Amino acid sequence: MSIIEKIFEKAKQNPQRVAFPEALNEKMMQAAYEAGSEGYIRPILVGDEAEIKAAIKERGYKEEVFTIVDVNNEDYKTMLVEKYTALPETRLKEKALRRRMEDKLQFAMVMQAADEADVTFAGIDYTTGDVLLAGQMIIGIKPGLATISSIGLCDIPGYDGSEGSLLAIGDSAVCTNPNSEQLASIAIAACDTVKSLLDWEPRCACVSYSTCGSGQGELIDKVTEAVKIANELRPDLAIDGEFQLDAAINPAVAQKKVNRESKVAGKANVVIWPDLNVGNVAVKLIQQFGHADAYGPMLQGFNKVVCDCSRSAPVSELKGNIVISAVRAAGEKR
Amino acid sequence: MSRQEILDQVLNMVAMSYKKEVSELSESTSFKTDLNGASVQMVALVSEIENELDVALMLADASACETISDLVDLIEEEM
Repeated sequence: MSIIEKIFEKAKQNPQRVAFPEALNEKMMQAAYEAGSEGYIRPILVGDEAEIKAAIKERGYKEEVFTIVDVNNEDYKTMLVEKYTALPETRLKEKALRRRMEDKLQFAMVMQAADEADVTFAGIDYTTGDVLLAGQMIIGIKPGLATISSIGLCDIPGYDGSEGSLLAIGDSAVCTNPNSEQLASIAIAACDTVKSLLDWEPRCACVSYSTCGSGQGELIDKVTEAVKIANELRPDLAIDGEFQLDAAINPAVAQKKVNRESKVAGKANVVIWPDLNVGNVAVKLIQQFGHADAYGPMLQGFNKVVCDCSRSAPVSELKGNIVISAVRAAGEKR
Repeated sequence: MSRQEILDQVLNMVAMSYKKEVSELSESTSFKTDLNGASVQMVALVSEIENELDVALMLADASACETISDLVDLIEEEM
């Protein structure tokens, strides 16, 4: 059973409520319908009720698969505003919040923050920037983290690492040139993401062109400082470095190059790149030469799971990402 | 509301969001070099501005402001 099949199975055991603010989009509605009717999620369509109902009918879907939330229902909106503004960490007051809720994406995120949904899934009409910014304003960044970021999950044929053919990598998509504090945030969030999605015990390596001081320079200093910050913030997590990639994932190389105790060296299941130049090139290398399937990017660092998708994504990819985000949301509740 | 009134309020809100003394701040204070802020603080600041000054700001526009003066310009445009 492939990793994605396993994730689909897991979703079925505990289907989560996923809010779709781009409900009228044809591909999005189809993906929501398939994921809902096959039992992976409980889809909530957010928008104008009459328009949504007409679209469901026209497209020949069964309405009972969906819950429809009408953004024009003033009583529901008032209930959301009351619940949201009563949350301890929220900053927006009623008037500013209502103004933002005119936007369906932010309306859906308010539902999520107020526990009326478990995931907000968007990004087919909205841009990635819209989703990231709305997520920061409405859902908020997890306490202690300096940035939001992303990880991807690679299934690499022929790779035999500590999780078989799987390796989580980050950040290959969001945070361009993280400083040490931000790099620490990426590592911490990545550990939490793989725990919630895959039930892994994370072993996270911050990689560089040097292993344990074999090289010197500011590029390396950034990584060693990040490891220090991450360990101070989350002593419960196994985050270590700086390692070269081979010392991070290959036990024989680690034995030669890492002359100290490490829970991570040689058996990392999460690899954190020093910046987006490395991250983007690395994911392309893994795909081009390693013929890997790369799932993601999965956004992380928000108080609750926020998911973006590619604007050109086919329905099958949308469905996969919807199900992954639902499993993460279920995992975060544990 | 005059520019000076907006500035006074914004200085207070920046001080609160970035945990600084108002006396350390001025129109020319740079978000990046002087305040070394992360996006968390900018989110707090934009929320505060929206609550107190009754304007809608795009987080992306606010984040693009180099100095406090730029931010006041942006708020004046939106008012």
